[in-house]
Amino acid sequence: MTTRPLMIGAVAYTPNVVPIWEGIRDYFVDGPAQMDFVLYSNYGRQVEALLDGYIDIAWNTNLAWVRTVLRTDGACRALAMRDTDLTFSTVFVTRPGSGLRDITDLKGRRLALGSRDSAQAAILPVHFLREAGLGESDVELLRIDTDLGKHGDTGRSELDAIRAVLDDRADAAALGITTWEAIGRDELMPGALEQFWQSPTYCHCNFTALDTLPAERTDPWVEHLLAMDWDNPDHRRILELEGLRRWKRPDLAGYASLFEAVKQQEIAARW
Amino acid sequence: MVSTVVLDLVERIGAVSVGTIVEVPLQPGEADTVAAWCARSGNELVSATEDRAVVRRGRPATEAFFYDVPPEQRPGARLWLYTNFDCNLACDCCCARSSPKAPRRAIGVDRICRLVAEAADAGVREVFLTGGEPFLLPDLDVVVHTCVDRLPTTLLTNGMLFRGTRLAMLRRMPRDGFTLQISLDSATADMHDRHRGAGTWQRAIDGIGIARAEGFRVRVAATVAPHEANTDAQAAFHQKLDGMGIRREDQVVRPVAQRGFATDGLALTVDTLLPEVTVTADGIYWHPVGADHDDQLVTHELFPLRTAIDEVQRRFTEYRLTAAVGAQRFPCA
Repeated sequence: MTTRPLMIGAVAYTPNVVPIWEGIRDYFVDGPAQMDFVLYSNYGRQVEALLDGYIDIAWNTNLAWVRTVLRTDGACRALAMRDTDLTFSTVFVTRPGSGLRDITDLKGRRLALGSRDSAQAAILPVHFLREAGLGESDVELLRIDTDLGKHGDTGRSELDAIRAVLDDRADAAALGITTWEAIGRDELMPGALEQFWQSPTYCHCNFTALDTLPAERTDPWVEHLLAMDWDNPDHRRILELEGLRRWKRPDLAGYASLFEAVKQQEIAARW
Repeated sequence: MVSTVVLDLVERIGAVSVGTIVEVPLQPGEADTVAAWCARSGNELVSATEDRAVVRRGRPATEAFFYDVPPEQRPGARLWLYTNFDCNLACDCCCARSSPKAPRRAIGVDRICRLVAEAADAGVREVFLTGGEPFLLPDLDVVVHTCVDRLPTTLLTNGMLFRGTRLAMLRRMPRDGFTLQISLDSATADMHDRHRGAGTWQRAIDGIGIARAEGFRVRVAATVAPHEANTDAQAAFHQKLDGMGIRREDQVVRPVAQRGFATDGLALTVDTLLPEVTVTADGIYWHPVGADHDDQLVTHELFPLRTAIDEVQRRFTEYRLTAAVGAQRFPCA
């Protein structure tokens, strides 16, 4: 009997997801576990599809993972993530000369945040402020919700947060480390921006499956995924597009700060 | 005022798929920033003027530019060697300006041996030996064996010298992995002789017969001027060759290139020619029709051959990239 291909869900936050997922699907054609993919317009729809059984595995952001855990009472598992997902972090940037040198210096200042469903640019920054003893009344938050639904994947709201700083509508901006890297840190815009604080690392995306999907279906798929090789030009093309060098097994401890943030900020498990 | 061109780049490139072109407006002094960002982010700066930069997302695989070219014709798949430039004929259509008065300028067996070995290592699939008339070389059989030992080889000749010691030399050549390509322009003598000299058509016909009788695979190639091309002549040509037992896949008709002695014919430039790496004693050229022409010179350095092949592939990709950018920038509807 032929086994049905595993159906993977992903969110179409850029046209590039098509070549990425076609490349991954093609990589699995000759492997032990074939797959196909479905693209969703937002993570809410994707998680619902996972819970309803329309897809077997979801390529989830960290917030989508947290919500899946909350919705299933933990009856789900993370299968794999990118090496870059293991060491994600948030940076706070400001104009040189702003007087900001540490997160606590934000008391009484204006902080631009990305879309409110972005873990790296909104939810966790507020969490880190609280950990530093700053409540929402201590810092004026400028929320820029320009890519809602995509959990900050587009980077658009973070770029807008930077523009708010440059336009003096905010004193600082919270960015995911990937956006900070994408603009060349402080090297390509000399004199424009500087980082004054960086968060502890946390985990970002992972492949999420429900516990109802048997391990004999997921194990061969994960093993084949982990075998993608940066030194193989065909694999490397896909890995570069998706922003990693190696697929890794997940580190669930890296989600602790986000679980805590979601609870503290009373972010709903449903959309 | 703070430059925000990097923010524009990240936003616009992030919104398109790999291979797509985006344009960003530039303020004075921002071109270097764009170049630095492209180098750092793995995107390609296609061009930058005073007020605008054109950037392609990612660096598409070279394969993407060759999708419409069969593998056996892709740049680097074929290697042409001009064994010599002197010739027993002085055809008015010769792109290499060969004649009895032309200096020999032979590559020589030793260099050919090294070239073919490096070619095989560099992924070349097939070797073509041409000239001049290669059968003027006394050691041509050694040259042919050297090539055939490494790669399938085709030898271009006018087929008129298969007598005496040269016939003996022909007989020493291998039959497997080796093809003789003999020039014959028409089904009757008039057109062929008009361009190549009186009596040459009959001697070419005789040469084809000798080569076939000796057990060689023979391909026949016609070179036709634009004003002489017509379907009746072409049909008669194929009928003649059919009658001689030449397979249809071994019957080739090519237009005259406006090169060398030819004042009429197709105008060919490096950006309109699919390159076929061509070696002469003096350098490496873009294509065999442009050997001995400076506009098609790639390098004077014959070794290492892979360097020249890489350069030809790089330039070809660049031409295709430029064409693709033009196509994206100027949609007609």
